[in-house]
Parts: sequence; structure tokens; C-alpha cells
Amino acid sequence: MTGVTDLLETATSGSSSFEAGAGPRYRYGVYGMVISSDTPLDLPSDTHGGLARVECVNASAIAYLAATDRRGDNGDADSWYRYVVLRDGSTYVRWRTIGEFLVAADGRRIMFRRFDQASLESFQVYLLGQALSFALVRQGFEPLHATAVVVDRRAVAFLGSNAFGKSSLAACFLEAGSRLLTDDLLILGESRNRLLAYPGPPRLKLFPKLARRFFGQDATNRVHMNPDTDKLILPIEERRRHGRPIALDAIYALAAPRDACRTLCVSVERLSPREAFLELLKGTFNRRLVDQPRLQRQFGFMARLADLVAVKRLTYPRAIDRLPEVREAVRADLARDARPALNIQPGFLD
Amino acid sequence: MVSFSERLTVAPDVLFRLVGDEGVLLNLNTTLYLGLNPVGTRMWHALTSASSIQAAYDALLAEYEVEPAQLRPDLEEFIQRLLGQKLLVAGPAIEASHEPA
Repeated sequence: MTGVTDLLETATSGSSSFEAGAGPRYRYGVYGMVISSDTPLDLPSDTHGGLARVECVNASAIAYLAATDRRGDNGDADSWYRYVVLRDGSTYVRWRTIGEFLVAADGRRIMFRRFDQASLESFQVYLLGQALSFALVRQGFEPLHATAVVVDRRAVAFLGSNAFGKSSLAACFLEAGSRLLTDDLLILGESRNRLLAYPGPPRLKLFPKLARRFFGQDATNRVHMNPDTDKLILPIEERRRHGRPIALDAIYALAAPRDACRTLCVSVERLSPREAFLELLKGTFNRRLVDQPRLQRQFGFMARLADLVAVKRLTYPRAIDRLPEVREAVRADLARDARPALNIQPGFLD
Repeated sequence: MVSFSERLTVAPDVLFRLVGDEGVLLNLNTTLYLGLNPVGTRMWHALTSASSIQAAYDALLAEYEVEPAQLRPDLEEFIQRLLGQKLLVAGPAIEASHEPA
């Protein structure tokens, strides 16, 4: 399997099967990647990229014809979400009111087109989340479906599917002075014998009630993530975000909402490595790509991660007023488990 | 039911990893993931490293304080489940003289 060094080499050598456009003019850093784009993106400039590179190119509708002409892969062309793997290994994804994306088979390039009705903020959420995840997986990374905050100079991740409460809990931590590292997609990597969590785009997605509670009335005057949800996209100002890679201390797997409904109290339970492995697998960000090399790599990555990181199940009632109590339970748990930064053996990504 | 004179090997395209003292398995063909508790993990190691199921059974009987009448059905059930999930395949036992040193 490819290590980090190899990834960088492959990202900067060889040719893409995609046609070259005008060429990217803007460079950004997110998830430890260098993102170059021919279109301005709402991202920090490239200060800590280096794991790999992804080129984003704005392309007109004709670039996607090979994918949109094809029938049968994902049914109804009018559905909200469409996903097709093309014969050359590239991946086409489209959200009906957001835009369409074509991710190269080697993950080094994303062609994109924003639909007229989509706001720039909304479009970028999909470009830098779901669409980018295909490029990351194609390049050998294993993104987790997690939101992470920095607590006492340590990264803490909340793992869970959509609507599990990751962003809400993160917002509660931000209210108490913690900084946001990433929302929804977490990339982990190794550097100088440490397991590092990398910063994502500086934004948080929250329902209006939670946005109002943790960021005030003004926060509700924001762009919706898509036309079918009330969820808002909240930019996070620099003083409330952590923009550099940081050692990961613990992963809290959030209980599913249906399980949380049955509980009245907050509980933290350390999982065995086997249980942790299964939770981490469930918490993978991209479930679409299931070719054997990916599954094999994912299996090794999650097993290694389960050995290295404390993974705990966090169960709590889904009530806004209880979130500060959850936050304090996590803080207390972290204090109990306080230990030096994790040491990772070389070859962690192998 | 498979005979105890047969030998079990890990099926092609099946991955096994130890996490802590427990095992996790993935069948790449079916994308089935399975976790084994510490006893199951020990059974897996015994079965996949022994020259026959009988040899694995004897090793486990010597290792654990367990009655033969209890171990045998437990092991049979364990084997059936793994065979059913296509995680193991049965074949002829290795002759003693052909066993690797």
C-alpha cells in the first residue's frame, strides 16, 4: 500500500487523463492537501499541505456528457443524488440543485460545475466534502465521518453518521472556548511519529435552533446547505478555529439517535479494539467506493487505528440543554485519560 | 458437518487482523466484516495453524479448562459459521511427515 511519501510523488508526477484547462491559479490548504483551483474558494491559503494534491477545475456541461449520457448506474437522472463510475475509473457525482463533479480515477483532479440555483457556500460544502472525498479515497486516504475540536491543545473527534449530532456537540465546545478543527470529514495522517488530525474548511453546519443557541440570533441569517434542508452553513472566524494539524487524542463514537432517545443520562464507554474497529468502519466518510484495493486498505487502516487511538461510545439524550453536560463529561473523561501524544510506528499507512 | 480429520485454511480474499487481543475479519468478495472475541480469536489461530481440525481440538482441550463434551459442539458451531461465511475452506489434513518444520 502507498505510504505518505509515495502519495506525494504520485500526485506530482504522471499525466492526468483529463483534458487540461486554463490551469489552476489559486492554492489552498485543507485536510492536509494542497488544493489548487482555477476558481477562488473560501479556504485558507496553503500553509500546511503536503499529504497530497488535488486540482479543481471549473468545466462546462459538455465535460460531463460521458457520464450524463450513461443510463442504469444510478437510476433516475432526476433524483437528488446521482453517482456513476465511468469506464476509465473516473467518478461522476451530482446533486440536483447543487452541481456536478467528475473525479479522476487517480483522484488528482476534480472537474466541477455549479448549478445556477446553488449558492457559492452551498456548492463549496459539496465540493470540499462529498466530492473531494472521492479524490481522497482514490489517492489512498481513509476519511472519517467526524467533526473535531481542539480541547486543551489536543484534537478530539466526534464520529457518526448524518444527524448523529457531531456539529451540535462541536458548537457546544466552541461556546466554551474550544476551537473547531474540522466539520464532518476528518483526515488523519502521520508526521514525526505522531497521529495528526488535519484542519478542514472553516465552517460548521447547524440547524437554526442550534445556531441561535450557540452563535446568537445573527447566526440564523446564513445560507442553507441545500434547498431541502434547514441546516445552515456558518463560517467560523479565525479566532474560533484551529488551522494547523494537531495530535489526535480520542475519538468519541456518538450513539445513534434512536439509541440516544432511550437514554436519560450521559455515558462514556471505552470500546475494546474490536468494537472500536467496527465503529471506525461504520464511520467511514465515503461508502461508495468499495473496490477490493480500497476495502483492503481500509481494513488495515481501521485495524491499526483501533489499536492506536482510544475510541469511546458517547451516549446522551438529544436535548440542546443537555449539551453542556455532555461537554463536561467528555472533558472529565479526557482528563482521566490524559497521556502523552501517541507514538505511531513507521508504516502506519501501509 | 466437516470431518475433524480435515484441515481448515483461510479462504482466498479473506483478511484477518489482530486488534488488541481480538481478531477482525473481512471477506473481500462479500464485504462481510466479522469480529472475534479473545476465545474465538484463539480458536481461529488454532484451526488455521493446525494440521487438522482434530489437532486444533486437541490443542484447545489442552489449553483450556473445558470438558470435551462442551468444547466439541462449540468448536463445531464456530467452524460451521466460518465455513458458512466463506471465511475458511476445508481440505485434506497435512500428513505428519509433510508438516512444515
